Amino acid sequence: MSDKRIWKWIKWAVAVLVVITFTPLVTPTGIYKPQIFGIPFTLWSGMIVSLLIVGLVWWGTRVHPGRNE
Amino acid sequence: MLGTLAIIGAIYICVLGYLAYSTKSKEKSSLHYLMAGSNLGALLGFFTFAATLFSTFTLLGMPDFFRVHGIGAWIFLMFSDAVMVFGLIWIGYSFRKRARKTTYYGMAGFLQDQYRSKFAGYVAFIGVFIFLLPYIAIQIRGVAIFLHATFPDVLPMWLWATAIVAIMIIYSEVGGLKAIMYSDVMQGILLLIAIWIVGMNCLNHFGGIKAMFEEVEKVNDALLSVPGPNGLFNFQFLLGSMIAITLLPYTQPQVSTRIAILKDVRSLHRMAVGIGFFAFLVILPTAFMGMYGAVLYPEASTSEFLNKTFVADQSSIIGAIVMIGLIAAAISTSDSQLFALGGELRSVLHGEDKKMVTIARIGIAIFAISSLIFALLSSDELVLLARTSFAGTSLLAPLIMTGIFFPSAHKLKWLPLLTLIAIFVFVLSLLGLIPNTVLAVRMDLALLGILTICCLSLILYQYKSPTLN
Repeated sequence: MSDKRIWKWIKWAVAVLVVITFTPLVTPTGIYKPQIFGIPFTLWSGMIVSLLIVGLVWWGTRVHPGRNE
Repeated sequence: MLGTLAIIGAIYICVLGYLAYSTKSKEKSSLHYLMAGSNLGALLGFFTFAATLFSTFTLLGMPDFFRVHGIGAWIFLMFSDAVMVFGLIWIGYSFRKRARKTTYYGMAGFLQDQYRSKFAGYVAFIGVFIFLLPYIAIQIRGVAIFLHATFPDVLPMWLWATAIVAIMIIYSEVGGLKAIMYSDVMQGILLLIAIWIVGMNCLNHFGGIKAMFEEVEKVNDALLSVPGPNGLFNFQFLLGSMIAITLLPYTQPQVSTRIAILKDVRSLHRMAVGIGFFAFLVILPTAFMGMYGAVLYPEASTSEFLNKTFVADQSSIIGAIVMIGLIAAAISTSDSQLFALGGELRSVLHGEDKKMVTIARIGIAIFAISSLIFALLSSDELVLLARTSFAGTSLLAPLIMTGIFFPSAHKLKWLPLLTLIAIFVFVLSLLGLIPNTVLAVRMDLALLGILTICCLSLILYQYKSPTLN
């Protein structure tokens, strides 16, 4: 897959993560279970989403069309 | 405690003075004094961006936000910051490319060029001035009320605030942007050290993360989910915050300047990744502090909670380091903002460069005094005032984004005026003169939505109108 296409997919992946965050998949109202190591649901899922986006940022810098300018 | 603080404070001020003196530019041109030569590397870019972004609002406001409103604060800031750094490599790249084609001194001047209209630049300047000034003011106020609460018999609050502003004015005027950025390296490290020492102490109080959340659950389990006990973190608030924070690198001039003066795209990319991880490292310990406060000081006022958590419950040396860290956080953000306001002023002025730089420097001093006055009059709601600033400047986003992405921005004559009207309406809603919602939608979101629709319609009209193309 070309870098340009990967970059396009990365943008879609970030968009999906953003949408997911505003759904009960990450931010359910009044629910804090299941907990991982005692960490409430929205906090640990929010951490995962944040780290995934930052990971996609890192990947994006490796394939961004203008990276050598 | 006061003695330890005096010693560490003296060292801090000496280092600041040394940095200001050693990096001060003999050449007081706009390019060197206001733009630090426009040749910023990734490492310096990372530290200066981080120190500018993570301010008193993060160090003092976020623990209190976690304490009062719960873990939704993570989504409010960390998730939004993650989206923001993605925007840096995407929108930031395009902005940088556009800005480097012109002589960039500030967003207002950039928009004047793109819209070929002085009015567009003035609108940007007015928007930034109105919403950045309160943000600068809350940095100063945040630290001043904290210092006053800790040492009530030493100085009154207004004198602490005046001392902080005096340091900022002297330092900025002497050193220029380069000095500010070098000091940001020191201030960024100080901020991280201070926040982790206190954060770990708070966590250790419970004996671990699991035990900490068990205690919070006993006190108030509404803190463990959204929208939190007061219902703040609802969909609209979180969405509006994410949009405002994602747009922050383009709508807040202290940040956009740093993107524009990076030496290449590689530096921008490295900086963006670094900021993403740094944000995680800075925000995580504030959650520990907030949970600590939720269990031990649930009914305390903001200043009581901060005072107990940051000072009373720490050893004197840690308390002193924390205080210097706080002052550093406030100064590093506020001086960058004041300087950026000076840059914005310079960017809309035309004339002999030396004279324009002098006017910008006088402007910086005037902005600093104005922010001091505002600091003495504003409220203690640090995070909410900061968010208002983000939301206010985000109203400039359609104007700025069009300037970046639409090559014929100069044909959209109405957009600057519509933006000015939106700013005016938002200010009226903040003052309580008109409702702060429109059909149950928050005013900032509604105005941003309306502006975006108007902007897209105007662009579409340009494409469809052959006589105008």
